[in-house]
Amino acid sequence: MTKTAYFPGCSLKTIDRAYDVSTRVVAKDLDIALVEVEDYSCCGAGELKGDGLKSHFLPARNLAHLINQGETSVMVSCNVCYHELSRTANAFDSNDSVQSAIQHMLQEAQEPPLAEKPSVRNTLEYLVHVIGLDTIAQHVKIPLSGLRVAPYYGCLYHRPGNMVSSVQIAGEDTEHPHFMHDLLRTLGATVVSHPAETTCCGGKNLLSDERTSGRLTGRILSQAKSSGADILALMCPKCAGGLDALQLRAIQAVGNQAQLPVVYYTQLIGLAFGHNLDELLIGDMESGAVKIIQQFLARPVYSLPMR
Amino acid sequence: MAKGSGIIERSLVSDDQIMEEENLVMDGIDISGRWNTMLKSRVHAQPKWEAWDTVRESFIGSSIDNCIQCGMCTAGCTVAHEISEFNPRQFIYWVRTGRRDELIKQADVIWRCVGCYICTNHCPKGVNTAEVIESIGQWLHHTVPDSMDPAYRANHDTYRHQLLTYGRLSLPRLQAEFLNRLSRRQELFTPEMRKTVWKMLRDGRGLRTLFIGRPRHWSRSRNVLAH
Repeated sequence: MTKTAYFPGCSLKTIDRAYDVSTRVVAKDLDIALVEVEDYSCCGAGELKGDGLKSHFLPARNLAHLINQGETSVMVSCNVCYHELSRTANAFDSNDSVQSAIQHMLQEAQEPPLAEKPSVRNTLEYLVHVIGLDTIAQHVKIPLSGLRVAPYYGCLYHRPGNMVSSVQIAGEDTEHPHFMHDLLRTLGATVVSHPAETTCCGGKNLLSDERTSGRLTGRILSQAKSSGADILALMCPKCAGGLDALQLRAIQAVGNQAQLPVVYYTQLIGLAFGHNLDELLIGDMESGAVKIIQQFLARPVYSLPMR
Repeated sequence: MAKGSGIIERSLVSDDQIMEEENLVMDGIDISGRWNTMLKSRVHAQPKWEAWDTVRESFIGSSIDNCIQCGMCTAGCTVAHEISEFNPRQFIYWVRTGRRDELIKQADVIWRCVGCYICTNHCPKGVNTAEVIESIGQWLHHTVPDSMDPAYRANHDTYRHQLLTYGRLSLPRLQAEFLNRLSRRQELFTPEMRKTVWKMLRDGRGLRTLFIGRPRHWSRSRNVLAH
């Protein structure tokens, strides 16, 4: 039994509960005990960066609660939260004046102090690097052989490369990440590499700059589809906003080649571990993932015909 | 003939930089025709340093002075592929040469950075370009808010308002408030949106979104953020 603290964040608690639920299902199978960070708040979602030092307050508040709970390491699923928390942990460690400013802000808000630097880990990196692909392979009941999956990392999983993050320490390539490729291959899926694996989805301006975000999401989906993918595997709820919930906008921007079912990679792990669609809340995804997965599971040899 | 058609790499020069007359006589010599095309002087006699001072003194923009103008940031930039005026290298150049007027001219472009950090990754001199651009955007936000798209203001205000009020965010509430601020409420009632809302109400996500709750003693944290 491995034990780790877990920070779901706002999105996973509300509309992206599918990511949260599937992460918990997989963690249970892999015998990981998840201790949720109590009394969480938003991580700032990148919107407070213009406030300078204050942008470290919300991540520090969450990290302080974590330390207060007696944990030293936290697993974060959302890429935006992961980036914000590691950015603060990094600044806390490397700069004394930032450290004292953070402590001062926490004191002013009467929150517990940040006694030490916690280690912030990404769920994907945790599964691949700590749990290990061998252990994951042992739990695979239904190999996803024949399902052509395009991995999509987004931007904040591995960037910026000059900030020391757990992903980097684990040996991930910050230019061409490959942990999701390795993981999906372990599940038996056919991994479809495509040129837009790390292209940004424009999530920061999802609401304000519809044109750019529509074209960016359209580019990702159409490139994955034209590379031969049946389904796109995601790891960030902010990307899910543009690629899944607002996929119609991408289709309007670049045409029908942007129509592609989208799921979280944890849902695919759950599927390979033998869980059904309802347990993994695949029905929550808006872009037709249920249909393609039912079609995949209905075939006797678990595969899809070539297009 | 189109203005400045004799210039090689015409696409790199903006229209207002080109002077061209039908008939031009200078010092008694008629130079109409091919030779009457001239570029305005790029010598900038009155630099204005407020933007540079603001950015280099800000917490996130302090690495701007490491820039060597190599352009690696712009070469990989996500937004530059979509919007040709978006050029992080040039924005930094303008800030450091005091070209206030040029920056203001692009006020509606600079905020469109998506914060993907490719530029920071590519920078050979350790400039945190993504955050420097954010800092330049902040300066514009305080200097010429009216030159920026109303959608930018609405987005900024919506995120701040939701964050400071509830301490937690959710996309449906953000979208509703954003459209409300822009008086585009009708977009909440399109057939697709109705379908999504109905689905979310049935599967329980609707209620979760409405009752997301606040962190304990949130008002104290809010005070730290607001002042």
